[in-house]
Amino acid sequence: MQSTEEIFEQLRGVLNELFEIDPSRVTLEAHLYNDLEIDSIDTIDLILRLKELTGRKIQPDQFRHVRTVGDAVNAIHALIQNKPAAA
Amino acid sequence: MNESGLVNRAWRVFATGFSFTCFGLGAVLMGFTLWPVLRLSSTDPRVASARVQRAVSASMRVFVWLMKSLGLLTYEVRGREKLAARGQFVVANHPTLIDVVFLVSLMPEVDCIVKQALWRNVFLRWPVYWAGYISNATGEGLVAACASALAAGRSLMVFPEGTRTRPGEPLAFQRGAAQIALAAGCDLRPVTITCEPITLHKGNAWYRVPARRPHWVISVGDPIPGTDFLKTGEPPPLAARHLTQALVRWFDVSITQQLGKMRTETRPGG
Repeated sequence: MQSTEEIFEQLRGVLNELFEIDPSRVTLEAHLYNDLEIDSIDTIDLILRLKELTGRKIQPDQFRHVRTVGDAVNAIHALIQNKPAAA
Repeated sequence: MNESGLVNRAWRVFATGFSFTCFGLGAVLMGFTLWPVLRLSSTDPRVASARVQRAVSASMRVFVWLMKSLGLLTYEVRGREKLAARGQFVVANHPTLIDVVFLVSLMPEVDCIVKQALWRNVFLRWPVYWAGYISNATGEGLVAACASALAAGRSLMVFPEGTRTRPGEPLAFQRGAAQIALAAGCDLRPVTITCEPITLHKGNAWYRVPARRPHWVISVGDPIPGTDFLKTGEPPPLAARHLTQALVRWFDVSITQQLGKMRTETRPGG
């Protein structure tokens, strides 16, 4: 089981790898769109990458209310904790 | 110089208001007559919207002619022949309110991405609707829709800035244009638009006409190979960022050179 801290660090890595976002800019409060300039097209690639990393199915709906990095961490955490591995 | 006299200036304020009134009334008139008739003239929506687009393009040519004839502006187009081919992805910078008027007047059939606010504009909604232009409000579906329009051989025009340039601020592009080029696997056809002295820019009311008659230069550049940015094997989001950065650099240089030339050419006494 991953802690939210570990998920946060992993997300930092993914954001750097996919979007070249400096990890120092990635704080829990950072707004994905306003602060990190992640648009809706990027979100598709981000969700694909998170699917690979977590091995879980992710519905775009589960990320609909995600606004900040902290929201994303919580969404991923909930996903890993509550949902059984995707068939 | 007589052209910059007070009388001339007052005339240009009046004539600008007159032109824009004609534009608005024309758009409403056509929006209830010719354009819907053309739109309904074929059951094939592509054929129908292409007919409307040609009619809208002709209307824009009339409007440019009107503004030029009233002494409101002068302009020149460089490399116009490069816009003749179909299936082109045209990207342009956006310094003034009437950039789209020039571009549509130069391209008889072109799909445009139009920002959502204009669909609610009481005058502009008619050409935008009947010509089948594409709204920017559709989010991730937008890139796919644009890429398939290009794949089908239609031309597409985008202002990557998303709105008019803010004078004095660094040029900023949204990534949509790069994302479309990468998704469609096509080249980008850059068009550099400059206006000197600047007028009808962001935050400037239409009646604040410049001291002398403004001149537009619209130059069509050589293709920028967008897909080169995928060859390095980068993930698409990163390729879109790098292509966007490359586009901004290209336009920065092109705009600076074009404006520099215009300013030396119009130096007083020259």
